[in-house]
Amino acid sequence: MMQLTAEDRRVWLLIGGISLLALLFIPFSQLFLNVTYDYTLRTVALGGALLGVVSGVLGSFAILRQESLLGDALSHAALPGVAMAFLLAGRQLPWLLMGAAAASWLGVYFIHAVTRSTRLKQDATMGIVLAAWFAAGLVLLTYIQSRSDASQAGLKTFIFGQAAAISRQDVQLIALVGGVAFLILGLLWKEFKLVTFDPEFAGANGFRVYLLQMLLSTLIVAAIVMGLQLAGVILMVGMLIAPGIAARQWTNQLGQMVILAAIFGAFAGGTGAILSAVDKDLPTGPMIIVVSFVLVLLSIALAPGRGLVWKWVRLRRDRQQFAAQTVLRELFHYAYDHGSLMTPVPEKFILGVGGPAAALGLRRLREQGLVQPEGAKWQLTPEGIKAASHTVQNVLLWDIYRQFGDELGLPLVAEDRQQDIRHLLSAEAVARLEEKLAGRLG
Amino acid sequence: MFQLEQWFIQFLLYFVSPEAVNSFLRDPRHTAIIIGTLIAVSGALLGSFLLLRGMALTSDAISHTVLLGIVVAFLVLLAVQGQAPDLSSPWLILGAAAAGVATVILTEALHRSGLVKQDAALGLAFPLLFALAVILIARKVENVHLDVDAVMMGEIGLAWANSNSHCLENCESVSITPDDPRAQINRQCTNCRTLGISPRDEGAQFADICTNCGVYSPGQAWQAGLIATQPVLLFWPKSITVLALITLLTIGFVGLFYKELKLSTFDPALAAALGFRPALLNYALMVVVSLVVVGAFDAVGSILVIAFFIIPPAAAYLLTDRLSWMLLLSAVIGAVGVYFGYDLARGRFLWLEMGGLLAGLNRLFGLGLSEQWNSSISASMVLMIFFLFLVAWVFSPRYGLVSTLVRRAAQRRHFADQVVMGHIYHHQGQVAEHEELIILTLHHHFRWSPRKMARVLARLRSSYLVRFEKGLVLLTPQGEARVHRFRQTQLGRNGQSMAQNLP
Repeated sequence: MMQLTAEDRRVWLLIGGISLLALLFIPFSQLFLNVTYDYTLRTVALGGALLGVVSGVLGSFAILRQESLLGDALSHAALPGVAMAFLLAGRQLPWLLMGAAAASWLGVYFIHAVTRSTRLKQDATMGIVLAAWFAAGLVLLTYIQSRSDASQAGLKTFIFGQAAAISRQDVQLIALVGGVAFLILGLLWKEFKLVTFDPEFAGANGFRVYLLQMLLSTLIVAAIVMGLQLAGVILMVGMLIAPGIAARQWTNQLGQMVILAAIFGAFAGGTGAILSAVDKDLPTGPMIIVVSFVLVLLSIALAPGRGLVWKWVRLRRDRQQFAAQTVLRELFHYAYDHGSLMTPVPEKFILGVGGPAAALGLRRLREQGLVQPEGAKWQLTPEGIKAASHTVQNVLLWDIYRQFGDELGLPLVAEDRQQDIRHLLSAEAVARLEEKLAGRLG
Repeated sequence: MFQLEQWFIQFLLYFVSPEAVNSFLRDPRHTAIIIGTLIAVSGALLGSFLLLRGMALTSDAISHTVLLGIVVAFLVLLAVQGQAPDLSSPWLILGAAAAGVATVILTEALHRSGLVKQDAALGLAFPLLFALAVILIARKVENVHLDVDAVMMGEIGLAWANSNSHCLENCESVSITPDDPRAQINRQCTNCRTLGISPRDEGAQFADICTNCGVYSPGQAWQAGLIATQPVLLFWPKSITVLALITLLTIGFVGLFYKELKLSTFDPALAAALGFRPALLNYALMVVVSLVVVGAFDAVGSILVIAFFIIPPAAAYLLTDRLSWMLLLSAVIGAVGVYFGYDLARGRFLWLEMGGLLAGLNRLFGLGLSEQWNSSISASMVLMIFFLFLVAWVFSPRYGLVSTLVRRAAQRRHFADQVVMGHIYHHQGQVAEHEELIILTLHHHFRWSPRKMARVLARLRSSYLVRFEKGLVLLTPQGEARVHRFRQTQLGRNGQSMAQNLP
């Protein structure tokens, strides 16, 4: 029986939540954004969502292999294939897509070949392929244009995508290619996982690493070629990696990451397409990218544990705690030196010693009911006295531990004075420390 | 800008006649090659550092996001001035540079959160900024001609046409006012069109409109026949000035901060420790990169410009290990690519005419291709640079494919020689000599094919290292000396392998 951890539950909850949100978005957009779901929009939104799923899933692998920008290079590299296919077979979509795939695939091959045989890094070889293939495409394209009176619309469509021209057949094609890609992914899941995370280990175990990597790259090429029509060359890379990056924040498991990336991709693709229908001037591809980026930002900020907001909260709590402890000890020492632990301490003294952090600490101590104001002075409450002597003793014990720990033969623990040493060491060790402390003080 | 051009032209005219300059620059080929070379030189200098810093694709990102800078600066100027600004306004260039820096800042912010890898951060940041630019263009810049095709492709072949005319002699500009005798005054109906009435109808109002009033530059005045003597004009392409300035800036930047750039590229930690502020230098580098990208926009377009940043330095990196040589070589490779790239666009590959090739293809496959090869100049330049990269990749003396193959083959041969001679040395004069050293069966001991063994033995024999005697292979005195030397250099003093002595 599989045990669901808290993280698993969170991920499944998130998947359900996003799906619900996506479903709710449709009536919302109808009611408040005056979007009418005509045939075109239904097709485009469906295509966007499907493409989001395909590219999100395959993009996850590109991210994990640190090949995020491969999408950028390969989408540009498709141009000569498109132009060549146009030159040889005319304006027929299947041939154009085949041409695009062939050219991109050659690009992948070249990137691998040059990176393996020279000291050039992968980013440089990707840049070379991007520029050189695109230039070859432009040369062919300008040649075509000089030959006939084909307009430059072809290039513009290629660069920016043309979401409105997406037809039912295109959507079916995306579904078909995506289905085949997922089938391969499912069959070779274990192998892909291995070559993604530890190619050396995979090679040592007799897997054909190079072949598997090329196969994975080929699947990514397929996703890119499908997406060119909708998102265009430049934005395709964002479509490919943004869902995966967002998904990566929520989980440490590949399976969950991939499913989450699919959901994020579908959400971004679908809602981006719908949002672009709000106003006729809004282009579809860029809207999808903006929605994806918002998802990434939300994930980076909010993902439990990892997210920036949680980090910030944790940092703030630690800082307050530290300030409070410091002030508490200052109060204790001052009062102790003045004869009674009930002695009120002038606020000026505390702030003068501790600076702005002391104000923070005082506020927190007051919230905890450990100090009370006494005019312009502060006095420890009975609980405060207890807490203060506790923390002061803790610090003294740490001092003793640091000085005599070896001598007393105590086990080694990392010094962290925010922690109670009495919890870190055994009762017997603490007793020895306390004995030593009593000897030193008395 | 205009003033600078004039000074430079004055300087130029000490050496050549204005007619010569005009006819030289009027040739699209010359202007295109000059502009391409300027881009290639500045791109190569900066690109070398980007490549070595592992930031090769940053130029790609910047080349896309400068569009956002241009659009935002455009909209701000539109709001402030109330009219569409000139597309070559320096404010737009500044906006583009700011966008370049913004890309880097956004990327680093994403990266520094520790949640996104460097390459992924770049892949997120620039599509977003580009998407925003496209949305802004679609939403706000409606009646303005921000031609996306031109931004993407560039028009280096037309650069010569967009020029400033500098007047050198007979410079008489004419201004015609309505009371000038040369003014042509027409009486026109001012409200006919708006009211939809004929000039003969009642209520039609008339005014005197001057059709040829205005200020005429010397060239225009001559064309309109307003002055008697033809002025001597010199047409100077605007792009050359802009790019020359940017190239000078680049050379100045790299020259001035050469030491700092070198240090922060190869050892950023040391640079920081010595107080060189590598982060600041990095931003400065990005600003210069953005400027070059913007300057190259008109000529080669935003996608192809990255070729000038990445490909020549990559080729040079395969040819040399010295930074100074790499800078020089990459600039040269870029310039050579530009020079031959122009010819490629016009159907000539190096010294080879391509019309024949196309005709051959037509005859073979019946494709009906046009035999007139005429294609994008900037793209052809990039292809030519790529060709040079391929040449460097294959033939580089140190890191090329050919030399690597040759070196590996030599190593294989050397290794085979060594083991065979070692084997003979080990058994020669021993009892087992008659089993181990038989020529015809020697290959079994190595699990080699007989042919390979025959090849190795023939080689060893022809260099007098082994001799054949009664069906056995034995070392010659030279061969023994060779093995001795090998054992002394490769093995420890008492015959143990060095590897065994390692800790």
